[in-house]
Amino acid sequence: MAAVLQLSQVTKAYGALRALDGIDISLPDNAYISLLGPSGSGKTILLRVIAGFEAPDSGSILFKGERVEAVPPHRRNIGFVFQNFALFPHLSVAGNIAFGLENRELNPITDSAVVRARVKDIVALVGLTGLEDRGVAQISGGQRQRVALARTLITEPSLVLLDEPLGALDANLRTRMRAELRAIRERCGVTFLHVTGSETEALAMGDTVLVLDRGRIAQADDADTVYNRPRSAAVARFLNCYNLFEGQLSKDDFISPVGRFPLQGQKADVRGQPAYAIRYDRISVRPLAAPVTAEEVRIEGTFIADEYSGAAINSFFSLDDGRVIEVESHLSQAAPQTCVPHGRYALVWKRQNALVYA
Amino acid sequence: MQASGTKLVLGIYTTLFLVFLYGPMVVLAILSFQTGPEGGPQFPIIEWSVYWYKHLFGMTPPTRIAPLPIEEALVRSLVLAVMTMIVSTVLGVTSAQAFRKKFTGSGFAFYLIVLGMMVPGVLVGLGMALIANALGIDRHWWGTTFVLHVVYTYPFAFLVMLAILNRFDQNVEEASWSLGVSPVKTFGKVTFPLIFPGVLSAMLFAFTLSYDEFSRTLFASGRDLTLPLAIYGTFSVEVHPNVFAFGVLTTLFSFALLGTYAALMMLSIRRARRVAIQEEA
Repeated sequence: MAAVLQLSQVTKAYGALRALDGIDISLPDNAYISLLGPSGSGKTILLRVIAGFEAPDSGSILFKGERVEAVPPHRRNIGFVFQNFALFPHLSVAGNIAFGLENRELNPITDSAVVRARVKDIVALVGLTGLEDRGVAQISGGQRQRVALARTLITEPSLVLLDEPLGALDANLRTRMRAELRAIRERCGVTFLHVTGSETEALAMGDTVLVLDRGRIAQADDADTVYNRPRSAAVARFLNCYNLFEGQLSKDDFISPVGRFPLQGQKADVRGQPAYAIRYDRISVRPLAAPVTAEEVRIEGTFIADEYSGAAINSFFSLDDGRVIEVESHLSQAAPQTCVPHGRYALVWKRQNALVYA
Repeated sequence: MQASGTKLVLGIYTTLFLVFLYGPMVVLAILSFQTGPEGGPQFPIIEWSVYWYKHLFGMTPPTRIAPLPIEEALVRSLVLAVMTMIVSTVLGVTSAQAFRKKFTGSGFAFYLIVLGMMVPGVLVGLGMALIANALGIDRHWWGTTFVLHVVYTYPFAFLVMLAILNRFDQNVEEASWSLGVSPVKTFGKVTFPLIFPGVLSAMLFAFTLSYDEFSRTLFASGRDLTLPLAIYGTFSVEVHPNVFAFGVLTTLFSFALLGTYAALMMLSIRRARRVAIQEEA
């Protein structure tokens, strides 16, 4: 697959803050890429640099094989969907969608019949038929999202940047729009770069998931790899499903503040600060007296509370040094241990399930 | 009890305030209906009549009271106000647009612009007269005065536009650029329609400030007087109610102007409300 967009060593600083600190990415043609980053990781700035709203301090941006750092946004042919949609409030739905075709610098379409036909096609594609003459204030949030998308897609960009496109929608609509966005993208055959702060959204949407940490790409893999094998403690933290212990790696053990965790030949990934990560759903809760096998790791904790979420229960335990450990028990697998408040329990996991970073 | 007492006091205060605000105008309006030509600019009203309105338009038999020499002054003032309005608004819109981004010396430039409305008019007028004399430039209402009117009204237009652009969602412009529309066309098709209410306010400010500007004009205009100067000139001889009649007519003209402004504003606000709803959702 040809790369539609290639960034190498792109940096951008605001005073002392290095918002983008040597970004290298390569986006394939016709793919859905999600970019996960916590707030402040530089994800919006990265999009704005790609779109041309901001100039990078250094590094190169190749779009379809050509350098575009010095090309103004309106000559890049890169679409942008804003979190607040940024629709033109003085135009109707159809007026918004037709705007780019009619007014663009390169090859504007002056024949209103052609414009109307194109608008009709794209309106059908995104599911807005019947709303063409409404004002953009007279439609719902989800419909506005579609207008923003249709307005961009009609100009046939090779790449569409979406800045937290689902952030302004309510939870119900967000889930529906996820599937819809993927379907629309497949029909158009363009590359979507979807920026989000939600790990579930990033994993659900992206063919490839990029994880941005403090101005650098911390990982670029498919969703499954990112979820199961985060490349650094920072990535594991963003995924919101790992308990992390800081500490030191010795020969056969990981020495954490709550005790030694014996290792089982795991090769430590050598990235960032040393850490030991165990996923919420890899831990089981047992009575203190229950036996432990040789390949298991055991620590003790005091039960605080649990949270029922339908398919699973998340329980919280405090360890002796005050930190809180989260355990996720899937109700479909087995009835979980019922815990008494303030009771002490053993938290046990298999050695090979832990991820070690050094 | 306490609350209603405060309410009463505030109510009385507000009423008195409004009476003081509009009292002089009402008195003038009443006196403009004094009979003529023997009735003077004082109470009591001898007899109600529209004599002085007729006098204004030269529809009365000639008397010793000369008609107001305002015909040409009125035209001059209107032309000057329109010229000032156009130039100040264009300058205000474009420079406020420039101030959306910080540039070297932007703070200094800001104070320099705003200074134009702060410095006393008499000083600026006198200064302009001196410079014009020194450089051998003739003083005219369409020359030296016009420049001073722009210097005076441009900061108002600038500040109005600055406030409007401050609340303007830049993403809307960026969205337009990302669709392939050039910045110039984006300004015309997106930015300008959205800031139009502000532009109207800036125009109104510039027009009204220029129309009744006195102190700057006094020194900077040459032989040909503008309306405020012409009216002031008649006071120095003798005041007749024809001035009041004229005052009533110009006030009505101003109301008509405000009415037009309000109507245009209503249209824009309806559009602005659409924006507001969009931002809430």
